[in-house]
Amino acid sequence: MRRQTFALVFAASCALATAPANAAPPGEAINSDISSRDIAIESNFSGARIVIFGNIDRPRDNFFDLGQYNVAVVIRGPEQPVVTRRKDRVFGMWINQDARAFAKVPSFYAVLSSQEVELIARPAVLSAYGIGFDNLSLIPEAVKGEAAPEESARFREALIRLKEAEGLYVSDPKAVTFVGRSLFRATVDLPANVPVGEYATDVYLIRGGEVLSHNRSTLRIHKAGFERLIYTSAYQYPLWYGIAAVIVAVAAGLAASAIFRKS
Amino acid sequence: MLQIYLPIAEMSVNILVIFGMGAAVGFLSGMFGVGGGFLMTPLLLFSGVPPAVAVATEANQIVASSVSGALVQWRRGNVDVKMGTVLLIGGAVGAVLGVQIVKILREIGQVGLIISLSYVTFLGIIGVLMLIESLRAIQRTREGRPAPARKPGQHSWIHGLPLKMRFKRSKLYISAIPPLLLGAFVGLLAAIMGVGGGFIMVPAMIYLLKIPTNVVIGTSLFQIIFVTAIVTVLHSTTNQTVDVVLALVLMLGGVIGAQFGARAGVHLRGEQLRALLALLVLGVCIRLLFDLVLEPNELFSIQYEGLH
Repeated sequence: MRRQTFALVFAASCALATAPANAAPPGEAINSDISSRDIAIESNFSGARIVIFGNIDRPRDNFFDLGQYNVAVVIRGPEQPVVTRRKDRVFGMWINQDARAFAKVPSFYAVLSSQEVELIARPAVLSAYGIGFDNLSLIPEAVKGEAAPEESARFREALIRLKEAEGLYVSDPKAVTFVGRSLFRATVDLPANVPVGEYATDVYLIRGGEVLSHNRSTLRIHKAGFERLIYTSAYQYPLWYGIAAVIVAVAAGLAASAIFRKS
Repeated sequence: MLQIYLPIAEMSVNILVIFGMGAAVGFLSGMFGVGGGFLMTPLLLFSGVPPAVAVATEANQIVASSVSGALVQWRRGNVDVKMGTVLLIGGAVGAVLGVQIVKILREIGQVGLIISLSYVTFLGIIGVLMLIESLRAIQRTREGRPAPARKPGQHSWIHGLPLKMRFKRSKLYISAIPPLLLGAFVGLLAAIMGVGGGFIMVPAMIYLLKIPTNVVIGTSLFQIIFVTAIVTVLHSTTNQTVDVVLALVLMLGGVIGAQFGARAGVHLRGEQLRALLALLVLGVCIRLLFDLVLEPNELFSIQYEGLH
């Protein structure tokens, strides 16, 4: 009996020793994952829908009932250099004139949230985590034409608008929905032209304007099968690819004349 | 349904639509006896295929259609191999130059403009000339007058040039310089416009080089095979813009359409056919011109680099 009591006290003191100095109870944490971590682009690929889901650990009823938990999901594709050009009228024709080169543009960028991100987090927080189109760091590195900052801002806006039109930039403040008290899910559509590479999916749990917890998972998009064969040979063995293209064409021409000569 | 992803154009398209485009252009080319590249490339541009990909892929398709066309002519003995070889040596030089021009234009963001302008210029000139010629021919048949007899070949400045060669099948003894230059010019057009260039080559061979009409088509097709093959390989190595999946679907549509077109063409009168083709050519020309001069809804465009 005495020995047992001693053991209990010992265990309790050990637990106390490992707890943080000011002994606050552990806060909320977020866990998440993606419905598919690996997407293969094959010849029948016409886009894909992915689901980001997760749960809030240790949610507090009072905060939940007041609707104070919000979740924001940011998906980023690999960065690539992009040139944005603007047409102007020259000799009665609309011709590309001024241009801005952006060195590091996320090839894909989606921000999904349970409310407008501006309403759930402080601007400094959004900017620190790069949440929302306004907080993408897109700085033109080479300039053709007038270098005024307001001009560059127009090119930046146009870049985002065109990426949105291609379905490669997505902003959906209603995409994250809660299922029950702690589960949430969000869906996003990847278009057919989705770039290949490693994608990072960051999920943020936000309350009172601050990020409480953050979780990252990765997604790999790659070409597979016949699609991969064509793509890699075109870029890695362009001479053989070109010769093969000619051989295919000659064979098609010969086959056609053989078939239709008989008939 | 039946969506297919084009690996180089990087877009998802309906395979039936692409096949139908190939078949429709193949039908017209079979009916009118033209290559079809000058109709196919604008159609690809209208469907949203990037200009550089449209041009390079169309060159690849023309290899297939000119092989089957040239084979028919070869069996009839209508190919002047020596003349064709001289033309294609010039063509190779023009192709190298043209592919480099496309590369530079892509870098400065003007490839779409130059391709459209080339099409507007050539389709405009050829459409108008064909329309005038065919309307006159229609009028002549109505009035029952015979076509004016062609004047016999005259000696011109061409005959004063050095490097003379004998072309047996064409029954010519002329300098190699004009065919070399003609070949180079058509090779340049093939690389920039994604055409075989028959619409320039054939009239130039008849009126400029005075090659007998019976060997003109076969010889032109013979050299188009090699020039478009060279253009395909060069675009592949320099610009990586040949989409074999797109080319293959277009080839299938094209060869099938051409067979039906050739049969349909037999029942139609030549000058009416030419008037129809002229109107079609002018229609494509006007559409391209409108795209250039009307203020676009979106003035901005983006171009990706790297990430392959």
